[in-house]
Amino acid sequence: MTEHSALYVYALLPDRQGAADGVTGLDGRPVRLAGVPGTGLAALVHDAAPAPFQGGDDEVRRWVAEQSRAVTTVWERVGGLLPMTFNVLVAADPESGRSAEQCLGDWIREEHDSITGRLEALSGRCELRVEITLDRAAVTGGDPVDGTPADDADGRSPGMRRLLAKQREQRERHTAGELADALHATIRRRLLAVAEDVRDRAFTRRTADETGVLSAALLVRHEDVDAVGAVLSEARAGRPGLGIRFLGPWPPYSFADSPQEEHAEPA
Amino acid sequence: MRPTREPRVTLDDLLEVVLNKGAVLHLDLIVAVADIPLIGVSIRAAVAGMETMLEYGMMRDWDEATRAWAERSVVRRALDLREDEGVVRRMSGGHLLTEGVYHGWRPGTVYLTDQRLVVLRAEPREILWQTELSGVRSVRLKPERTVGGEDRLRLELTLADGRRELLSAKEPETLCDLITRACAGHLAPALPPGPVTDVEPPLAEGHLWYQEPRRSGPVWRGGTARLTSGGLTWKSPLDARPALVLPTADLAGVRRVPGHGPAGEGSVLVVTTAGGEDVRLAAGDPGLWVRRLEAARPVVAAG
Repeated sequence: MTEHSALYVYALLPDRQGAADGVTGLDGRPVRLAGVPGTGLAALVHDAAPAPFQGGDDEVRRWVAEQSRAVTTVWERVGGLLPMTFNVLVAADPESGRSAEQCLGDWIREEHDSITGRLEALSGRCELRVEITLDRAAVTGGDPVDGTPADDADGRSPGMRRLLAKQREQRERHTAGELADALHATIRRRLLAVAEDVRDRAFTRRTADETGVLSAALLVRHEDVDAVGAVLSEARAGRPGLGIRFLGPWPPYSFADSPQEEHAEPA
Repeated sequence: MRPTREPRVTLDDLLEVVLNKGAVLHLDLIVAVADIPLIGVSIRAAVAGMETMLEYGMMRDWDEATRAWAERSVVRRALDLREDEGVVRRMSGGHLLTEGVYHGWRPGTVYLTDQRLVVLRAEPREILWQTELSGVRSVRLKPERTVGGEDRLRLELTLADGRRELLSAKEPETLCDLITRACAGHLAPALPPGPVTDVEPPLAEGHLWYQEPRRSGPVWRGGTARLTSGGLTWKSPLDARPALVLPTADLAGVRRVPGHGPAGEGSVLVVTTAGGEDVRLAAGDPGLWVRRLEAARPVVAAG
């Protein structure tokens, strides 16, 4: 294998001349559009050794930021693309003597219809991320629940006090959980009135004093980003103790694959 | 509110999004990445491989934070943890199904959390068996001869109701030891009776379809409905919390409607809320759900 016999693939997109001009990717490598004649499609790539990028946390963080920056820049120029995950590399095929670019081109030709369909579905749309948490102290007001003599330390062993504290904490979690369920259902419904799709995600930030309400990626038309913001502002105004992180807009990473819900059928 | 993508605020999120999402080319000629025990792999493509690596301890060389991160992303895909639940240990294993006509080992992954013992199958995803740790009375190792004539150690659990269950595990001794310790913690100092912590048992619980209204048109989703004296909730296995919460006071009416639903012809029922909204559900046994919901509905004073 030669040093640069593979292609690192960032995204698939409509072949738009000049879309990658001046854009750099991992470790500052210049990226380019590898067009596939006859399909109207191209891949955003750079040449690479046929081995995945590996490194420590800090290095991976930097690479991810670089990949994201490159993909976002081109996405903003073109209006729609299918972003790839980290470390998608296409190697040359020594058996048939095809180069990596030929292999990728052949595959894009084969998958032309599904790629085009997905690109159309995502065109003009972005991914937003919403994380909503509930401060448990704000729910229970920080007061001990009835029947829990939290301050009645006299006459109780340290073990018993610890158990009672644990019980109280469980009750608080339970109360906050029920409230979070109701808030989740309401906010999700309001968000889906403006967003086209939603995928539940894990929380990236939540402290021990918070109960998670909703963490999701939303697929939203660019012109509806403000409407999502309005739903969130309203939710926050209506409920003290609600913490909201609102991130994006990003290329639609979470929606690049076909719709996830197996059983979903359009009604 | 306006969204931000200021890198200092969003890098962790971006890391998760880019590593864990995005399309993967389904192409034979992608460089194989599953064998490389470093974070610089395409996590999504390699997630199956990663589970195996975690199970077989192949990632011991990963630094602690990376391992924890990988473990979280795998576990999240695998087992729906409760809010305050943490995984103590996971390993490959199985459960001996003895109920019904089928009798045999069903392989999966055994999860010991700080609350439950669960045997989960990844594909198709199903909880094969589970118990709360508080329901475990005893656990012991039991040798068993396999079909191939090998002696294997199994885990025999005796539950509070007297039932006995047999589990297999990759490291039976370790698991037995961990369960013993976890249960000892539960049995140790008896908690004074706590009034609220017990979750109310549902009046009914079962698979139900919910037609979720969306901007791009309503979508039928499969999930679990739970009817308690407090109301009706519906939750998809893909979501962390219920997408539908209807307090009992909101259940104004329920009726079956003609037409085709995801569970077949005539499977659709409509719940009308106090606010006048129609919520469409579908069930394999719509008649039963209508009766249940009718029974749960607030009684209107006879006049």
